[in-house]
Parts: sequence; C-alpha cells; structure tokens
Amino acid sequence: MWSFAHIANELHNWLSNQFNPTWTLIIEMVIAGVAVIGLFAMLGLILVIMERKVSAWMQIRLGPNRVGPKGMLQSLADTLKLLVKEGLTPDGADKLLFNVAPFIAMIVAMLLLAPIAFASNFQLWDLNIGVLYVSAVSSLMVISILMAGWSSNNKYSLMGAMRSGAQIVSYELSAGLSVLAVVVMSGSLQVSDIIESQRNGWWIFKGHIPLIIAFITFIIAVTAETNRAPFDLAEAESELTAGFHTEYSGMKFALFFLAEYVNVFIVCSIGATLFLGGWMPFHIGNWTGFNHAMDYIPSSIWFFGKTFFLIFVIMWFRWTFPRLRIDQLLNLEWKYLLPISMINLLVVTAMAILGWHF
Amino acid sequence: MFIGKYIKDIWAGIRSLLVGMKRTLYYFTHHKEIITQQYPDNRDTLELPERFKGEVVMPHNENNEHRCTGCQACELACPNGTIKVIFKNELNAEGKKKKAIDKLVYHLELCTMCNLCIEACPSDAIKMAQTFEHSVFDRNQLTKVLNKPGSKIMDGVE
Amino acid sequence: MTGSDIIFYILAGLTLGCGVLSVTTRQIFRAAIFLLFSLIGIAGIYFWLDYQFIAAVQIVVYAGGIVVLIIFSIFLTQQAGEKLPKQRLDRKIFSALAVFSAFALAMVQVYQHSFTAPAGEQPVPTVKDIGLKMLNTENGGYALPFEIISMLLLAALVGCIVIALREKL
Repeated sequence: MWSFAHIANELHNWLSNQFNPTWTLIIEMVIAGVAVIGLFAMLGLILVIMERKVSAWMQIRLGPNRVGPKGMLQSLADTLKLLVKEGLTPDGADKLLFNVAPFIAMIVAMLLLAPIAFASNFQLWDLNIGVLYVSAVSSLMVISILMAGWSSNNKYSLMGAMRSGAQIVSYELSAGLSVLAVVVMSGSLQVSDIIESQRNGWWIFKGHIPLIIAFITFIIAVTAETNRAPFDLAEAESELTAGFHTEYSGMKFALFFLAEYVNVFIVCSIGATLFLGGWMPFHIGNWTGFNHAMDYIPSSIWFFGKTFFLIFVIMWFRWTFPRLRIDQLLNLEWKYLLPISMINLLVVTAMAILGWHF
Repeated sequence: MFIGKYIKDIWAGIRSLLVGMKRTLYYFTHHKEIITQQYPDNRDTLELPERFKGEVVMPHNENNEHRCTGCQACELACPNGTIKVIFKNELNAEGKKKKAIDKLVYHLELCTMCNLCIEACPSDAIKMAQTFEHSVFDRNQLTKVLNKPGSKIMDGVE
Repeated sequence: MTGSDIIFYILAGLTLGCGVLSVTTRQIFRAAIFLLFSLIGIAGIYFWLDYQFIAAVQIVVYAGGIVVLIIFSIFLTQQAGEKLPKQRLDRKIFSALAVFSAFALAMVQVYQHSFTAPAGEQPVPTVKDIGLKMLNTENGGYALPFEIISMLLLAALVGCIVIALREKL
C-alpha cells in the first residue's frame, strides 16, 4: 500500500544502503527540511485562496475569479508580487531586530511542526512531551510580534504588539487547560499515545459533555492566540492600520502573513489530533462493514480532512463575528473561559479517575 | 442569583453567535444569493438597482417638450453649483413676453449625485438617469445642456 | 569530534555569546531579546541531554513567561529606539571584576569536583516519574517543597488582588 510511512521507510532503507549512518541522518534532515518548507509554501497558497473564497461566499461575493481556473492561482500571483516588491526598513527602526523578527516567526512555526503526526507512523519527532512541547514553543510566537512592534519605532506597531502580547499570554492559559483535559483522559503527553488512545472512538465522543466544552474553549482560545478575527486587535485595520506589521513590506511582510496561516494550520492540527483522533478513521461502535469502509480511506486524508475542517470553522468565525473591544476580550478570557475550563478540568479529572468514559 | 445569571449570559451569548453562524453558513452554501456583478463582462445584461443615481437628465416627450419652468429651485438647492439656469424671453400665444429657459447647464464633473435638485424641483422636470459610463477625454464634454435644442415647455406646466 | 559535540558547542556558544551581548548592549530591548536567546540556548542544551520535560519547562517559564514580562515592563517605561547613557569607566571595571571573580569561583568549583560517569544506562525520566516524585510524601519525595512553593504563589496572588483592589491614590 502507498502510504507516507511506507514511502519514508523505503527512502530510509535505500539511503542506509547507499551511505553510512551519519550521512543518512544528514540527508534525511535535509529532506525533512525541504519537505517542511514545501509544506509551508503549499499551505500559504492553499490557505490564502481558501480564506479569500470562504470570505467571499460568506459575504455574498464572488471572490478572486480572474487568475487561473476559478481564480485558484490568485495567491500564486500575490506571492510573486510580494517577492519582487522592495523590502523597506524604516530609518528610525532597530535594524537588527526589525529584520530578524519575521524569521523568528517562521522558525517558531517550523519548530511547531515537529511533533505533529501527519499520517499513521509518519511524524518528524515523536518526543514524549509532545503536547507540552507545542504549548511551550507556541509561547515564543509572541516574541516575534513584540520584536516587530518595538523595533518598527511606530506607535501603531507598538500598540498592536502590546495588545497582542496581552492577548496571547492570557489566552494561552485556557488553551493549555483545555489541552490538559485530553491529557488527563489519555494519560500521556506523547502525540502518538494520545492518537492511539482514540482507536475506539475520538475523545470528543468518548468524553461526554466536559470534553465538548474543552473543545469549544480550545477553539476559542487558539483563535485568539493566532490573532485572528474576532480577536484581531493586534492588527485591527480600522484602528492601528496593520498593527505590529505596519512598517513591513515585501517578503518580510509575506513571512508574517505566511506565519499566521501556518500557525492556524498548526493549532488546527493539534485540535484535530487531541479531540478528533488525528489520523484515526471515523468508527461507529459495532458496525464492522462501515468501519472497514472507513479504514480504506488513507490516514493522511483523515488527518488533513479534519485539520481543514477546523481551519474552515476558524475562518467561519472570522467572517461572521465583529471584532471585540480590548476589555471585552479580557473579560471573555478571565471571567468566562478560564473559570469554565478550570471547573471543566476538575470534572474531567474526576471522570478519568472514576472511569466514566468509554 | 449570580450563578444563574452567569450561566444564562453564556447561553444567550452562544445562542446569538450560533444565529450569526447559521446565516453565514446559509450564504456560504447558497451561491445563487451572490450579488456581485461582473461589470464589463455583463454590460449588455447589467441590472442596476432602481434608485441608482448616475446623472441628471431632463426627460422630453415626443413633441420635444419638457416640464421645466425655469424656477431655479434646482440651482438654489444644489450644494456645489452644478446647475446653472440661463433664461431667454419668448412670446407666448397671446403675444406676451414670458420668461422661459434658454439653457439648463449641468456640470457633471461637479455633481455628487446627491439628489437634492430632483427633490427641489416643483414640476418634476428633471430626474436621475441610470447611465454611469461618463469618462471622456475632454473635460468640456462633461458640461451638458439638459434641454434639447428647440425644445419648449409643455402645455399646462406652470 | 562527533556531531553531538559540534551541536553542544554551537548551543554553548549561542548561550554564552547572547549572554555577553545582553549585558554589553546599550539598547534595553535588545538586552531582553539577547537574554531570551541565551535562555533558549539553555533549553537547547536540555534537549541535547534528552531531558525534554525540563527543556519545555525552561521555554514555558523563562522564554514564554519571564522574558515576555520583562519586555512588557520595557514597553511601558521606555522610549523606543533610545540608547542608554554610557557607563563610567570605574563602574565598568568594578562590574567586570565582580563578574570575573564569580566566574573564577565557579570554574574552581568545576575543576575541584571529580565528575564520575553514572554506571550503566540511565533511564530517561518521563513526565510520569517527575509527577509521582513531586507528590510523593515518603522519603525522597517532594510533596513538602511543592506545597511550600504553592503557598508562595498563593501569597503573590493575594498580594496582586490587594494591590488591584486598593483605591486609586
């Protein structure tokens, strides 16, 4: 059967026969790096056109429809435009930090891809603290935004960066607590273990109402963490022109733009892994025929299908709800999401100890 | 009670969010609702909304007659001096001198399509047309005379 | 020199170099960023040692928490892009002396200590081991320190609430 794991194994065997172990490792690292960069480029192109089409259809518009069939090559044309544009560094900016900030954003996004299981047995690094690693490294995302905002030497950028810092730091809490709910249930931080624990049903079905609440708080918190509307105060166009990336242009702006979409992909794939079973196919109880039919669908399609469904949900939020004010944003987190997810975590812990799940 | 109000708040919030999401999902799945007009392509079948305001025109009937009495109400109503009424004296049937319009000059390049002149007109002599492709190479072409040459006022309009 | 050694030296160089830059730069925001890179280098060394949990905690606590806090206080107090004034020479000399004596003390300790390699293969501590140890009340458990630290955090929380509730002066 053709699967990602199969291809990776074949490649590894072939390389091991050709070279000694050190060179095999180095070549494999290079291949993984190229694959990650390729995935980023693809994600950028696909998610931008997806966002533009989804937004258009939700606002009763047509969206891009001129470049390529049905406008599907529009994001390629945009990328080309951004590539040839001049990258400007303002005079009063802190040149070093200004130029480093977009790369920090990209590097953090790349590091976050490591523990994600794209298909069965297909993972870059199955480290035993997978979920903690993701929440740790994603807390570095805010650093690039703060760097960009400060070094631009522009009041809009600074205000955008401060807003985004306050927002990310506070929403990290409820995202972490809702992730903990799944960790408590499955009893492991390792991504492969968490997926394996969902072989007989996804956690959102097995965990009754508490895990559904955890799922909802997770989705809300990650929408805020990736700075997307209705929580896009960091780059609120009507108030701050473009927030922390006001002064960026050309490819450096494109890197921020790409990092935002890659982060959306990453948080959605984490959500799919924790709550919707990762690459596990959809099974219903004892319907063996149905379950076998579901098994025929490759695991990578299950993973990407779930991830893109969650991305669609987040886009759906963005194009439905108006932006929150800063006090409403902080109220939502500290007065609603945090208490709810804390109590929810207690309930989940009681359920896990008493075994009240399937 | 505090807890009761808290839970009620959350419930009301989630419900109103779901109402909004239902609406956008409806639009997302029903593409026939799309209102975008692909203008240069559908020029022949273009449908404009009824109240679309393109330029001021003066309708004439088949006898080359209009309804303008030259009362200058439109000229006074216009906020930026778009309309200029130029008079001439003409003899009516009884041989009396009567004031009538010679030219109703309309500067399209100054017009903001605010519709105030149409509302001010007591005899419904001018109205808004739906044409909107106004670009020309010479600015002078935008200064238009609304009444056709040789036209006169319709009978019975005072 | 193996690949593992090279990675260690890169990480150590990153940590030390950014540490030095963080105290010598005259722009306070850059100092905070270099401190961040230095802390990330330490986290990298933990990853290199395969102590993944400690590495992740290092990133969460220091990079995600403390440095962000420092950056926020810089944002609220400083003007962007302004350099700090140059220090007087005597201050520079004395601080260099203080740093050097601390460094010498540490190096003396390192060279006097005889490091013995642990016998046999050491098990990598998992999160489960750490958690069990943390809440263990028996001999060698860390339940008491854990609770004392949580008392400290509780005191900090209460202090925050008191400051927030106090009427505006």
